[in-house]
Amino acid sequence: MQMRKSETFDEIRKQRHWKVRNAVRKFWILGAFMFALNGVAAPKTVTVQYRFFAGLPQMDGNWAALKAASDGKVYAGLACHGCDGHLVFYDSKSDKMVDVGDLTRLCGENGLRLGPQSKVHAKIGEGKDGRIYFATHAGLWFDYARTSTQEGYPGAHYMAYDPKTGQVQDFGIGPRFEGVNTGAYDPKFNRIYGLTHPRGHFVYYDVATGAKVDKGRINNFDSICRTLGIDDEGNVYGSFGGGLIFKYDPRTDSVRELPLQLPIRQKGISLGRDYDKSETAWRVIVWDPETRKFYGVEESASILFSFDPYAGPDGEVRRLGQMCIPDFANSRNVPYATLSLTVGLDRKLYYAAAGKEFDYGGSAGLAASHLITYDLRTGKTEDLGEMHAPDGRPVIGTNAADTGPDGTVYFVGATSVEAVAGEQNYGGKIGGVPYRLALFIYHPKAD
Amino acid sequence: MKSKLLALLAVGLLIGAAAYGQRSPGYDKVVVLQTRIDARDLGYPPLDIIPDGESGITSLTVAPNGYLYGATSGNHSHLFVLNPRHGYVQPLGVIPGATDVTHSVAVSASGDVYIGTSPEGHLLKYTPQNEHNQTIQIGQPLTVTDLGQPVSGESIFALTIDPKVDVLYGLTSPNTHFFKYSIAPGKFTDLGVVSERVPEGEKFERDKMMSRMLVVDQEGNVFASGENGAFFRFKPIAPKIEKLSIRAPAVPGREPWTRVDAFLLDPSGVIYGGTSDGYLFRLDPEKLTVTNLGKPLNQYRIDGLVRGADGKLYGVGGDKEEMARLFSYDPPTGAYNLLGFVDVNRRPYYTWQAYVIGAMASDDYGTVYIGEDERISKLYLFYPWP
Repeated sequence: MQMRKSETFDEIRKQRHWKVRNAVRKFWILGAFMFALNGVAAPKTVTVQYRFFAGLPQMDGNWAALKAASDGKVYAGLACHGCDGHLVFYDSKSDKMVDVGDLTRLCGENGLRLGPQSKVHAKIGEGKDGRIYFATHAGLWFDYARTSTQEGYPGAHYMAYDPKTGQVQDFGIGPRFEGVNTGAYDPKFNRIYGLTHPRGHFVYYDVATGAKVDKGRINNFDSICRTLGIDDEGNVYGSFGGGLIFKYDPRTDSVRELPLQLPIRQKGISLGRDYDKSETAWRVIVWDPETRKFYGVEESASILFSFDPYAGPDGEVRRLGQMCIPDFANSRNVPYATLSLTVGLDRKLYYAAAGKEFDYGGSAGLAASHLITYDLRTGKTEDLGEMHAPDGRPVIGTNAADTGPDGTVYFVGATSVEAVAGEQNYGGKIGGVPYRLALFIYHPKAD
Repeated sequence: MKSKLLALLAVGLLIGAAAYGQRSPGYDKVVVLQTRIDARDLGYPPLDIIPDGESGITSLTVAPNGYLYGATSGNHSHLFVLNPRHGYVQPLGVIPGATDVTHSVAVSASGDVYIGTSPEGHLLKYTPQNEHNQTIQIGQPLTVTDLGQPVSGESIFALTIDPKVDVLYGLTSPNTHFFKYSIAPGKFTDLGVVSERVPEGEKFERDKMMSRMLVVDQEGNVFASGENGAFFRFKPIAPKIEKLSIRAPAVPGREPWTRVDAFLLDPSGVIYGGTSDGYLFRLDPEKLTVTNLGKPLNQYRIDGLVRGADGKLYGVGGDKEEMARLFSYDPPTGAYNLLGFVDVNRRPYYTWQAYVIGAMASDDYGTVYIGEDERISKLYLFYPWP
C-alpha cells in the first residue's frame, strides 16, 4: 500500500482505531438490521458478568484451563503464544483477580532461552489436600522443526498451587519436548493425567510416589481429543480414532480400547474448513456424580451424548441431542464445538456455543456466543440467547466452563475491546476487532 | 510502536495455526512428499489387525522370493508378511514366548523364516505354507519349530543370516554373546562377547553396549560393534569373534556410549552404517577402515538404513523421544537430502505420522519399507524418485 507523505504513524494509528471502532459498530448495527429485515425483534440475549484478567491484556487464549474450587476461588490458565502463560485466580468472595505468576518463571526456566511455558491447556483440578493441580503446555510449534532441539520446548511440567501458602510446587518435566495438550486431575488416585502434543501419548504423574509414567501413543497429532474424563472410581477415558473410546484403569495400570462408538458425523477426515481441526473425537466431556454418567459434546456437529461407563462390561453411549445454536442444527457448517460445558447445580448442562468458528485469533469472524442448556431431568434443550455483558459487549467465544460451589457458572473466553493508542491492551483480533480474555460469570435463575 | 504492532500481528497470525494444535496445510512442506509414501495397517481393521500395544515394528526383512516379513514388539510379538503383488499386510500369528523381536527375523535361501525372541531367547523357525489362503486369526499362535536357546539365560537381541552357507548369527542380551547357528546340523556355538562391562554413566545406563544389528560381508565375515564403540569381526574359520582396532564414529569421549544402530551391505562390497549419535559411516571390510560421513540430521540415532533401487541410501533418524525424519545419501556425490517427517496424509481416508521407527528394509522393486515402533504402529511404503 502506498503511504501518503503527509500521513504520520499517529494519523495511521488513529485511522486504525477508528476502523476498529467502526467495525464493531457495523457488526452490531448489521445484526440489528438483519433482524429488522426479518421482522424479528432484537435477538434474545442472556446477561453475563465479566472480569478482565488485570495486568494481563496480552494473554491471547484459554482452553479448558478453568477450575471453580471449593473455597470460591476460580483458577484459570491464560495462554500467550510466543511468550509466557500465566496462572491466575479470581476470588469470588473478595471480587479480586490475582496473578499467581508466569509459568516459565514458575517452572524455573526463565532466562534459559527455551521454548516458553505458554499455556495451561488442559483442565485444572483440586486435590483432597486443597491444592490446585495442573500441567503446562507450549505455545508455538514451528512445524515441529524445533522439537527436541536445545532451543525448543523442554516439555510439560506437572505442578501444584497451594492456596494456603500461595506457593507453587514444580514436580518437574513429565513428557520431554512435549506439552500436555489435554488433561485432568483425579483426586481419588491423586494423579495428573494428560495427552501430549504432538505425539499423542497418554501420560500421568502420581503425586504421592512422584512417578512419571508414559503409557504410549493414543492418536495422531491432528486429532488428539481435548478432554479426558474421569469417573468416580478413578478410571480415565478419552476418545481416539474414528470416534472410539479408550479406558485407563489405574488398578491395572493398563489402557483398554472399548467397543463403543461416539455419535460423530461420519465424513472422514475432510479438507476445507476443518483441515486443521479434528472432527473425530469428543470435544468436551463432564462427569455427573448424580447419574454417574459422562455428558459430552463431540467435535463434528456439537452432538450431545451421554456415556455411562457402568452400563454392562464396556459402558454405553447414547445420543441426546445437539448443542449448537438452533439455527445451525443439522447444517453442514455447525461452528466447531467449544470446550465450554459444565453441569450446573440445577441439574442442567450449560454450554457456550460459538456463533462462528471460534478459536481466538484463529476465529472465522465476529459473532456472539449463545448459552445453551440441557435439562438432565427433562431432556429439554434451551437456547438462552446471545451472551452479552451488562455494558453490551458480546461474548465472542469461550473455551472453558466450570460450576462453582454456589452454582455460579464460569466461562473463560474473549470479548471485544477498543484499542488504546500506544498500548497493547488486547490479546489479538477477531474479524479485525481487538479482543481481550475475560472471566464470564453467569448466575443461573431458579426455575 | 510499528514493531510492536507488527509483532502483535505476527503473533495473531501464528495463533491461527498454533492454537488448534492441529494440522494445517502448511505442514505438508515438512513431511515426505505425499505422492511418494503410503502406509498400511497391520491387518484388516477393525478386527483382524495386530492390536494396539502389540504393533511396534522392530524387525523387517525381505525374503528371497520378495516377500516382506516383519515382527512386532509389545504385550505380544506378532509375525506378519506383505506380498508386494498384493500390497497388504497379513498377520500370521503370535510368536510364542516373545514380547520383543528386535532386528531378529532372517530368511534362509529355502524360504524358512527364523525368529530370535526376547525375553525367552529362543530361536524359532517358521515355514511358510500357503499363507495367503489362510484366514487371519488374531491371537492364534504362530506354528513354529523351537530350535532352542543359543545362550542360557540370554534373550536374542539381533539376528542375521549368511544365506550362502545357511548359518545364522546373533547377539544376545544382556551379556552381548555373539553366537552362530548352523542350520543343517542344528548346532549353536557361543563365539564370545563384544562387551565385558556396562559403561560408566548415570543411574539409567545399565546396558552393556552392542550393535543393534549384524552384517555379513561378501566374504561371509560378520561385523558387530561392542564395548567403547569398537568393531568386532567374526571370520567363519575362526573359533571366536575378534575385536578390531577400528571404532564407530563418535565425538571423542563419547565412545563408551556409542553403538551401531544400523548396518547395510552395499553391492560394492563396503558396509554402510549409522550410529546411536546419528553419524553415517562407511566401513571397508577388506582394508578395515572407517570413514565418518557426517550427520544427516541434528538428531540422535539412525533407526534404519537401506539401499534404494536408485543406488542411494535411505535412512531414518531420531531417538525414542524425538520425531523421526527420512533422509537419503548419495554415495557418488556424498550429498544428503532431507526428505522430511515420515507422515502419510490420505485425507479424507486416513492420516498418520510415525514418530519412532523400529526397522527398515528395501526390496528389488525399489520400495523402501519403514516400520513404526509405537503403541499404535503402521508400515510405511516409500517409493524413491526414479
